[in-house]
Amino acid sequence: MMDSLVRLLWPEMVLTVAACVLFLLGVSRRAAVRRLTAVLAVLTLAGVFFGLLASGAGGSLMGGQVVSDPWNSVRIVEFGYYIKILVAGVGILLALLAWPGNRQATGNSAMDVGQDTGEFFGLMLLSLMGVFLVASSNDMILMFLGIELASIPTYIMVAISRPLAVAQEAGVKYFFLGAMAAALMLFGFSYLYGTTGLTDLHRIGQVFAASAGGIGQAPVLSPWQVLAVVMLMMGFAFKMAVVPLHFYAGDVYQGAATPVTALLSFVPKISGFVAMIKILFVVGGGSWVVPQFVTQILIVLSVLTMCVGNVLGLLQFNIKRVLAYSSIAHSGYMLVGLAALTSPRIAGSDEGLSAVLFYLAGYGIMNAAAFGVLMLLPARPGIAGMGGVGAGGKMPPATSAETFEDIAGQGRKHVALGLAMAVACFSLIGLPLTVGFFGKLYLIRAALNQGLIALVVITVINAAVSAAYYLRIVATMFLRSEPQTQWPQAAQPADDCDGRGTLPIKLAVGLSVFGVLLFGLVVPAIELLSTQSRSAARVDIPSSVEQPTASAMAR
Amino acid sequence: MHYSIVLLLAVPIVGAIVGALLPNARSAKWWALLVSVATALVGVWMAAQFDWNQDLSAVPTSDRLARSVQIAFTPGFDSPLHLQAIQFSFSLGVDSISLWLVLMTVLLMPVSILASFTYIKERQKEFYAWMQALLAFMLGVFVARDLLLFYVCFELTLIPMFFIIGIWGGSERRYAAGKFFLFTFSGSVFTLAVVIFLGLAAGSFDLATVTQYAQYDLTDSARFWVFMGLAAGMAVKVPLFPVHTWLPLAHTEAPTAGSVILAGVLLKLGAYGLLRLAVPMGLIGPAGLMFPTVVKALAVLCIIGVIYGALVAWVQQDIKKLVAYSSVSHLGFCVLGLVALNDYGMQGSVLYMVNHGLSTGAMFLVIGMIYERYHTRDIHQLSGLAKQMPIMSFFFVFFTLSSIGLPGLNGYVSEFLTILGAFTSEHLGIGYGIAAAVGIILGAIYMLHMVARVIFGPLKVPHVHEEEGHKPLSRDLNGREITVLVPLAIAVVLLGVLPTPVLNSVLEPVRMVRQPVTAPIVGPTAQSPAEVAMVQRP
Repeated sequence: MMDSLVRLLWPEMVLTVAACVLFLLGVSRRAAVRRLTAVLAVLTLAGVFFGLLASGAGGSLMGGQVVSDPWNSVRIVEFGYYIKILVAGVGILLALLAWPGNRQATGNSAMDVGQDTGEFFGLMLLSLMGVFLVASSNDMILMFLGIELASIPTYIMVAISRPLAVAQEAGVKYFFLGAMAAALMLFGFSYLYGTTGLTDLHRIGQVFAASAGGIGQAPVLSPWQVLAVVMLMMGFAFKMAVVPLHFYAGDVYQGAATPVTALLSFVPKISGFVAMIKILFVVGGGSWVVPQFVTQILIVLSVLTMCVGNVLGLLQFNIKRVLAYSSIAHSGYMLVGLAALTSPRIAGSDEGLSAVLFYLAGYGIMNAAAFGVLMLLPARPGIAGMGGVGAGGKMPPATSAETFEDIAGQGRKHVALGLAMAVACFSLIGLPLTVGFFGKLYLIRAALNQGLIALVVITVINAAVSAAYYLRIVATMFLRSEPQTQWPQAAQPADDCDGRGTLPIKLAVGLSVFGVLLFGLVVPAIELLSTQSRSAARVDIPSSVEQPTASAMAR
Repeated sequence: MHYSIVLLLAVPIVGAIVGALLPNARSAKWWALLVSVATALVGVWMAAQFDWNQDLSAVPTSDRLARSVQIAFTPGFDSPLHLQAIQFSFSLGVDSISLWLVLMTVLLMPVSILASFTYIKERQKEFYAWMQALLAFMLGVFVARDLLLFYVCFELTLIPMFFIIGIWGGSERRYAAGKFFLFTFSGSVFTLAVVIFLGLAAGSFDLATVTQYAQYDLTDSARFWVFMGLAAGMAVKVPLFPVHTWLPLAHTEAPTAGSVILAGVLLKLGAYGLLRLAVPMGLIGPAGLMFPTVVKALAVLCIIGVIYGALVAWVQQDIKKLVAYSSVSHLGFCVLGLVALNDYGMQGSVLYMVNHGLSTGAMFLVIGMIYERYHTRDIHQLSGLAKQMPIMSFFFVFFTLSSIGLPGLNGYVSEFLTILGAFTSEHLGIGYGIAAAVGIILGAIYMLHMVARVIFGPLKVPHVHEEEGHKPLSRDLNGREITVLVPLAIAVVLLGVLPTPVLNSVLEPVRMVRQPVTAPIVGPTAQSPAEVAMVQRP
């Protein structure tokens, strides 16, 4: 039995052990040890990533089986494997972005965690591990724990990411709002438990399925269960930064150091999406035929999220805020996929889910590229987003490019970085030859397949609106010349692009740009990702089919 | 399989990549010229392979559409160029309409590169690399036989053009580039939605399959929205009347080569898209034309564009802006002929696309040459240039006359045919023809008005401070500039006196555009597109 547990949960175990090791190493005061922690974090993630690829790619290991533990609190199917591979892969990029490249190994141009480098990477691994748990969980308590494990380290990471008041303010703000979201979620879970007497999601799905009028009919929920589902969706909406629970995004993304912002825009989001998808499957009674109100909520949320995110994105002056609202808008696009998934026209079609899974992968990669480029560009004094030059004309510490002024003309000075940003932005717009294009294509295709024409029209209009602010980033980098400001002597920016310490960041940018182009240009690669996301669209076996599993017999 | 068509795209793409890596500006220049000439040679090679007098009368009607695409490249079902997840395939092919536009494009590109040799002074390597990338994407639109590939190339033309206008343009370049990008992108997102819808519903993106699906299996309301979506993207690009406002700014601010390509080729992408996608997929049903009212509405927009563009052109102070507005007016004729949906109109429309590319492209080239010397395009600051620049003046007047449709030069034939098409059309009629004819008169007025002011009259040129570090240009056109203009002038005369080869060769394809595709041998979903292709192209 131990053996099967190890087989099930080895990635989680590896990550936890590695995080503990990093916490221990973090005690050391030596810079070399701190640098070692970063190496260890990246190696761990790479090990998990390649290990998962080797063992579970394409669900070949699973062979259509569901592997669960004796208590059925963990059930692993292709879906979980896909999410884990994706999170580990993007996690490598995120860890590289946070590389402590300066001499004291306390951070890099955009980040300064002081002596806490080891703790920082430990927290990062724990946060990623949280998403892994959500992906494997079949028990509402474990799922809640997973979501919180993905989130709580990020509150700390935001606060310690740089020695600035804004970062701490962002951390506190994020923590309080996150606690509120957790309360919402717990409320939802408690009602779900109260009305069914179960914490096992798979069996709750069976209870719901029994309440349906017949095969292919949506379950009939009691009012308390409706309340539970709505509260759960709202709690997840916070993690996904979905309107109307998006308010923290702008401030928190701006306040946190850029590598942490990159993490915030991916890790909590994907934990929210994974939980949402799993709960939708439960609410559908082990299928995607959910009660109508759920689909309606999803449609309303997606429209609101896309429109609000994109319109507010137009109004920003700080690029990190632009990317915050872009992150909101992209959640809206992915909700279109979920709306298509649960839409009743072709019930049981999981095209929407595979589109969302494809998009999550694409978004993770292109987003990392955009933030990576920002990190490699220097900030300008006096106009930096952090309230300008401090006393004595000094730059605020740990501040890389943040405003449009900062990046003006930088595309000419650093052509490779400029092109990388251009690729990332064009991918975020959804122009061809990038992964963003195929992501949008699959989402729109899934929605059209379900006859959600109006939603598609709103989506494409939003894509056009979003083009305006992404293009502004590209235009500022390439078409404007560098502003001729007088540098205060103390604030002369070190040209951060030349240091050896930035090599890992450059590697991350290079890898993600390569990924964006690979999955947007090379047909076999696109085919591979499409096939994987399609086979991963199996969240669990339909619960109406009773399957006596080996675990049940063991009990 | 014809690999010439693959080469047509591969040469400029490789050229762009290599060009971006070259060590210095001088080599980048000549490399770009070499690549564009090589692409042109590939185009000529394709023209030589092509059977221009193809007789399809013996071919069963269901086969004609496939047979008219004579030079084709269709990747197999399991080829790495075929995306099975959505049945997207990198399939290329040209019929005579596409091939004429390809030939026009490969003629315009070397001359605009040659014309940029002294005009582009900074960041030259990037400029020439973007130009070559642009060339590949534009050709991609014309040769795509896959709906999604068409859209991909159509969108990709935005990126190089955005940088070309935004980096090397005039003083308002950033605004112009952004406006250009956002206008066209906003239009084409609707096209994307329709493209995905059609590809999903038809089970393939293959143009023939999708066209047939759209004609036989769409409901009327679906067909209407398919047309609106496809037309939305194309109308902005053409541009038709209410959505033309990006054009004057973009044309005026773009560097000379950018304006030439913008007016010469990019606008044709819209017209070609209407011809290739919007009309056959959105207007034609099993019984022929479905929405006469929509056609009338389009024709009215064209006529408003013709008259309004002409009137606005008349009052311009900037000669480049004047020519830009004349494009709005001219493209109105082009689309009017297209929506006449008869032989005259549609043949004229295809010819108009080629002709407008040549004469307006040439006008922008000449204006660029004037601008390089006097650093102004203001109609009030320039006068009597014939005294100082006789050779330039010859070309200026020559291309003006071609543009306003002097008999014997190319503009005449196509303008005449489009208006004749409007007169004789079943759906339009005499009112549309008369209104368009007024546009011709206005066209002559504003163009001759400009020629009279700028070329003739007392000599007046602004005093120019020569920039340091650059050799001043000769007073009149130099050898390089004459080399740029002569090929275009020859093409203008040839198409003016001998338009019949073009007209005859496109007759059968334009008929196929407006007639429903007859039922095929194999159903669209019964077999994979590759197998269908194999059946249809033995």
